[in-house]
Amino acid sequence: MRTEKQFVKGNEALALGALKAGMNAYFAYPITPSSEIPETLATEFKSPEYPEFKIFLQAASELEAINMVIGAASTGAKVMTATSGPGFSLKQEGISYGAAMEIPFLVVDVNRAGPGLGNLGPEQSDYFQATKGGGHGGYKNIVLAPNSVQEMAAFPALGFSLAFKHRCPVVILADAFLGQLKEDITFPKIAQEKFETPWAATGARGAERHLIVSLHLDFADQSKHAEHLMSKYEEVGMTEQRSEGYLTSDADVVLVAYGVVSRLCRRAVNELRAKGVRAGLFRPVTLSPFPIKELKSLADRGVRKFVVVELNMGQMVFDVKLAVEGKGSVDFIHKLGGFLPASSDIVSRVEMISR
Amino acid sequence: MGQTAGLVQKSMVIIDSEVCKGCSLCVVSCPQKNLKLMASMNRIGYHPVEFHYHGEKGDCTACGLCYWVCPDFAIAEVRRLKQ
Amino acid sequence: MTTLQGQAASEYEVKLGRLPTLTGKPTHYCAGCEHGVLTRLVANAIDELGVREKTVLVDSVGCSVFAHDYINTDAVQSPHGRAPAVMTGIKRVRPDLLVFAVQGDGDAVSIGLLELVYAASRGEPITVFLVNNAIYGMTGGQMAPTTPTGMVTTTTPRGRDLIDTGPPLDATKLLAGLEGPSYVKRVFLPVAPMGTTDLYSARGSLEGAKSVLNAFKVQLRGGFSFVEFISTCSVNWKMSVLESKRYSSEVLTKIFPPGLYKDKMGIETK
Repeated sequence: MRTEKQFVKGNEALALGALKAGMNAYFAYPITPSSEIPETLATEFKSPEYPEFKIFLQAASELEAINMVIGAASTGAKVMTATSGPGFSLKQEGISYGAAMEIPFLVVDVNRAGPGLGNLGPEQSDYFQATKGGGHGGYKNIVLAPNSVQEMAAFPALGFSLAFKHRCPVVILADAFLGQLKEDITFPKIAQEKFETPWAATGARGAERHLIVSLHLDFADQSKHAEHLMSKYEEVGMTEQRSEGYLTSDADVVLVAYGVVSRLCRRAVNELRAKGVRAGLFRPVTLSPFPIKELKSLADRGVRKFVVVELNMGQMVFDVKLAVEGKGSVDFIHKLGGFLPASSDIVSRVEMISR
Repeated sequence: MGQTAGLVQKSMVIIDSEVCKGCSLCVVSCPQKNLKLMASMNRIGYHPVEFHYHGEKGDCTACGLCYWVCPDFAIAEVRRLKQ
Repeated sequence: MTTLQGQAASEYEVKLGRLPTLTGKPTHYCAGCEHGVLTRLVANAIDELGVREKTVLVDSVGCSVFAHDYINTDAVQSPHGRAPAVMTGIKRVRPDLLVFAVQGDGDAVSIGLLELVYAASRGEPITVFLVNNAIYGMTGGQMAPTTPTGMVTTTTPRGRDLIDTGPPLDATKLLAGLEGPSYVKRVFLPVAPMGTTDLYSARGSLEGAKSVLNAFKVQLRGGFSFVEFISTCSVNWKMSVLESKRYSSEVLTKIFPPGLYKDKMGIETK
C-alpha cells in the first residue's frame, strides 16, 4: 500500500501518476531506462486502488505496442505507452497516424544517448524527434518536459487532460537520469478527469457511424483536414505554452534548459549570483508548444545574453534563437554520450560570456 | 425477356447495371445461363449484365448463385414469386 | 436501374437482397476481384448475427484500405500490417464489440506478420480475413511473400527466384501451428472452372459465406479466428478475369491447399 509521501524513482512516480490519473490501458515493451514504468504498472495491475486500470498488455515490439495504443485510444479510453530512443523511433509511424486521426494518448520517451543503440545515460537528443514531429507528414505533438520526480508524478494527468482537450498525442519527454532519480515527493492530488469522447469508435448504436481514418484521397478533403490540424496547432500554441522562470526578472544573462539540466542550471545560477553575476534560468515546461511568448518577453525586457544548455548537439538552441529574434546573443553549452555537465563548467562558461 | 404467353415468371434477378463491371462471373456461374453481357455500355464504361428469365438451359430458379459471386452488388436482388 | 420483366417487382418476395451493413457505394475494386465478394459475405454475416451496431472494422493498407466506404459500421484505420495490434487495443478495452479486419497478403504476411502471429498466439478474440492473391495489388503488382516461385511481377521481372527469395509463405499453416488460435481455415473463394463444362462452380462463395459466419461466431465465443481466402488479381497477373480464376484454381490451390486447419471449438460441426 502506497502512502502519499514517498521516496520513489522518476519512472515509478510516472507510472503511479498515470494510475492516479485514471489510466485505463497500458501497452508495454521493455527498454532501458524506461522499464520500471511497465514493471510498476504490472505490479499494480489488478490493485483495488486503481479500478480504472483495466488493461496491461506486453506487446512483441514497440511497434505492436503503439498500434495497440491507437486501437484502444480510438474507443475513447485513457491509454499510455513508454519507451526510450530506439523504441521511440519505432513508434513514430503510430504517432503520425494518431495525430492524423486525432486520437488522444500518451507516449513517454525516457531519452537516452544515441543515435543508434547509444548507451543508457541521459541525453536530450530526441528533442527534434518529439517536438518537430518525428513521424511523416505535417503534425505537432504536445511535448511536456518534467524536471523532477514530483513532475514525473503530475505530468500524466496533465498529459491526458491536454490530449483529450485537443484530441492529439502527447509526449512526455523525460531522460535517463530523471527516470532513475529517486526523490522524496508528496504525491500530488490528482483529480481523475472524465473526458467526453463523442467521436470515439464504439459501435454505431442507433447513431451515425464514426470513421477514424486518415486517408483522404481527394485533395480538397485532405487540404481541409490538414488546415483543421494546422489551426488546432495554432490554438494549442497560443493557449498551452508553459514555462518556469527562476530569478529572471532582473537577470542580465539567462540560462535556458529543461529536464535534469535545468536542475544543474539552477545551481549554476545560484553560484553565479553569489559571484555577482545577475543570472537567471528560463525552463521550458512545454517543449511543444515552445514557450516563445515568455522567452521573447525576456529579450524585449532587455536580456541580451542567453545561454542554452543541452545534452545534445544543439536542438532546442534553434527554438531559443527564433524566439529571441536576434535581440540577444544565444550561446550553447553541450554535453554528449550520457555525461552531465558539472555546474562549475556552466558557471565558468557563463562568466566568460557575461564579461 | 418478357413472359411466355399464359405462364408466369417464377423469379427475377434485379440488376443495378450502373455498378456492373462486366466481370461475367455471374454469367459463367448461372446453371441455366440466364445472364448475358449487354452489347451496350453503362456510364462507367463496362458492358453490364442483363437477366433473361428463359435462359439457354432453362428458366431461372432463383438459386442465388449469381448474387453470391457478384463482386460489385450489381446483382442487387434475387426475388421469387410470392406463393 | 432495375430490369423488370413484365410483372411488378412487388409481387415477388426478396430471397436475397440488399444488406444494411453495405453502404451501397460502388466499389473501387477491379472487375472480378474477390474483395468485392468478401465484402458482401462479411455484410451478410454481420446482418445475420444482427451485430452491425456493435461492430468495429479495422481498415488495413492495400486494396482493402477503403473497406469502410463499403461496410456500414464504425471503422478505425490502421497503419500497414498493424491491424491485429489495433484490433487488440480496441477489443481489450471494449470486449463487447465485434472487431475484424480484411487484410491483403502484402499487409498481413509481410510487414504485418509479427502483429498477426502475436495476436493469434495470444488467442485474441478478434477476426482476420486474409485475401491472398499472391501479389501486392494496390501498389501495382510487386512480389509478395505469397507469390509463387517463377511468377513474373514488377519486382521479379524474370520470375520469382527460389534461391534468392525463398518459397512462398503459408500464413494459414503458420497460424495453425500455434496453440492460440481457435479457428484457422483456408477457402478457395473464386468461381472455379469445372473441367468438361463451361459452367463455373460458385462453391467458393457459399463456403466463404459459411466460413465468415463461423469466424464471427468463434470470436463471439472468445476465440481468435482467421480465414484465408485464396483469391485472384487479374490486373496485376496480367490475365483476363476468367483466366485468373483458372490460374488460381490450378496453381494457387496446390501451393495453398484449402481446408479446415484448426477448429478448437468445433464450430463447423455444431
